[in-house]
Amino acid sequence: MSLWENIKMALMSVKAHKMRSILTMLGIIIGVAAVIVVVAIGQGGEAMLKSQIAGDGNTIEVFYQPSEEEMQQGKWEENPFTQEDIRQLEGIEKVSNVVASSSEFSTANLRDEEAETSITGINEAYLDVNQLKVEKGRSFTNADFLGGRRVAIVSAAMQEELFDGKSPIGEIIRIGVQPVEVIGVLEKPTGLFAFGSVETYIPWTAMRNMLGTNNYSQVTLQVENADDIQPIGERATTVLNQLHDTEDSYQVINMEEIAQGIGQVTTIMTTIIGSIAGISLLVGGIGVMNIMLVSVTERTREIGIRKSLGATRQQILLQFLVESIILTLIGGIIGIILGAGTAYLVSFFADWPSLISWQVVLGAVLFSMLIGIAFGLLPANKASRLDPIDSLRYE
Amino acid sequence: MIQLEEITKSYTLGKESVNVLRGISLVINSGEFVAIMGPSGSGKSTLMNIIGCLDRPTTGSYLLNEEDVSQHKDQELAKVRNQSIGFVFQQFQLLPRLTALKNVELPMVYAGASKKEREERARDALAKVGLQDRVEHLPNELSGGQKQRVAIARALVNNPSLILADEPTGALDTATSVAIMDLFVQLNQEGTTIVVVTHEPEVAEYANRVIYVRDGLLGQNPFEKGGQTR
Ligand SMILES: Nc1ncnc2c1ncn2[C@@H]1O[C@H](COP(=O)(O)OP(=O)(O)OP(=O)(O)O)[C@@H](O)[C@H]1O
Ligand SMILES: [Mg+2]
Repeated sequence: MSLWENIKMALMSVKAHKMRSILTMLGIIIGVAAVIVVVAIGQGGEAMLKSQIAGDGNTIEVFYQPSEEEMQQGKWEENPFTQEDIRQLEGIEKVSNVVASSSEFSTANLRDEEAETSITGINEAYLDVNQLKVEKGRSFTNADFLGGRRVAIVSAAMQEELFDGKSPIGEIIRIGVQPVEVIGVLEKPTGLFAFGSVETYIPWTAMRNMLGTNNYSQVTLQVENADDIQPIGERATTVLNQLHDTEDSYQVINMEEIAQGIGQVTTIMTTIIGSIAGISLLVGGIGVMNIMLVSVTERTREIGIRKSLGATRQQILLQFLVESIILTLIGGIIGIILGAGTAYLVSFFADWPSLISWQVVLGAVLFSMLIGIAFGLLPANKASRLDPIDSLRYE
Repeated sequence: MIQLEEITKSYTLGKESVNVLRGISLVINSGEFVAIMGPSGSGKSTLMNIIGCLDRPTTGSYLLNEEDVSQHKDQELAKVRNQSIGFVFQQFQLLPRLTALKNVELPMVYAGASKKEREERARDALAKVGLQDRVEHLPNELSGGQKQRVAIARALVNNPSLILADEPTGALDTATSVAIMDLFVQLNQEGTTIVVVTHEPEVAEYANRVIYVRDGLLGQNPFEKGGQTR
């Protein structure tokens, strides 16, 4: 008898007892769904943390954090990155972009209206690397940067705040006393709970002219390969510390350490989830075994008939084994769908990314099949050993 | 075709051992139509189960088609049941969730026949017992006589050389019994060896030969001696 024949037979028998089958699967469904949800949320969170630290586009931020000693020597600077620094950083091999900016809080005025906004003077690489897209109007041109033109791109929140949501393109706003022309509006950040902050971007050169800012306060490097982030970041700090004759004021986050830390948390979490899942699947498996034992007893006569017609012990064993595997497999698949749905809802309403990897899905499928085999063996074996004459006589 | 030599069968219940068959030697030739009669509890069904390879004798040898099946393993016995023997029971023994067609297909499922072949042959078998317009019926949608016809169709579908029927008319009225027995006669005329266990002399009359079992031994025809069984 073919396996397909067995599978069809098992499906029929599962269908014949719908309610009972669902109740039997419940343990497996809940177990698998729980694992899928927790792993999806866990992996999503881990990916989010890592990308926040590492930056989406292979970026690493350089910090300025002078030691106590250097502070006492009065070496502290508000804008610690000079233009020369940027040029040197751009010269480092495998650095694809150096993003530099300075920002300040200020008030912006449009006629009688007034709004609090951050003013960020940026260099050419800033918008691209930070994945900020201009939705209306135009972006900065080279001429804007070179000429220090007083033009601004505002965030969507700023458009709401100062312009009542009307198009600000072409409007002249005043930052302090300086007039600036708005040329573009940024795309709204996505996500249900992402409000976005009130921001105004101008070319750094314009910022220097207007506010007298000389240097940059923030520097982020973008490198070509993710693997290069750490070594290039460290190379950059060496260069900067040499240029400024400082010990260790310029730093980058040691991502390997952080990755390790996250990894540890993940391992602990996986262990906990693993044991919860293990227990619930064990309970589910016992439920399946229980029902299969009942089913074997109920179907004693059927087994007798099949044997009298020439079914071998192996064929009866396979029949019941396939049935319990089908039960747990269907349970597992329902669990995956339920878990994926729940994970999706959680990430939708809690603004938390969830990540369902095919490995987890495959693992869940294989594991529920394994449970079907492990807990189906005993009932199937019992069925296969029934004596045909006794079974035919069974009332 | 069937050669039984000093077959015994005993069961141990607790400390006691019950000898149900106490040395039966019997030859049934190919093409015979044999009826087995005897009082209740005499061991007729036990004998049939041994002949049908559902059970093994405690001692003695059994040659079926020149093959010593008393030494066969479970798996080999299953194959013999599947290929060489067809069973018909008093209680029909159909699977309640399967249609008549699917019930008749079962022996071929275990023989490994293809789906197409199974369906074709099952339809033929059902037509042969006169149920060509009941193929999609479930057992509980059929009368007792029709159920027994399905069971007979199932018994003959693998073309066995031997059909065993343990009180096939026990649950049927007289008219239906006659129809069922006519079917057996027809099968016998086509060459199938048939062994029927029965309590009813009218049924036994269809056979070429009647064997009497009494207390686990073959006995005399009680009618010839003026005795009575019922
Ligand atoms: N599994 C068993 N264990 C113990 N004793 C058994 C077993 N099976 C049958 N017997 C005994 O064997 C004897 C013969 O049983 P069997 O079923 O062969 O009788 P029978 O001739 O078919 O009777 P009936 O005409 O009523 O069907 C009975 O006394 C029965 O109690
Ligand atoms: Mg009997």
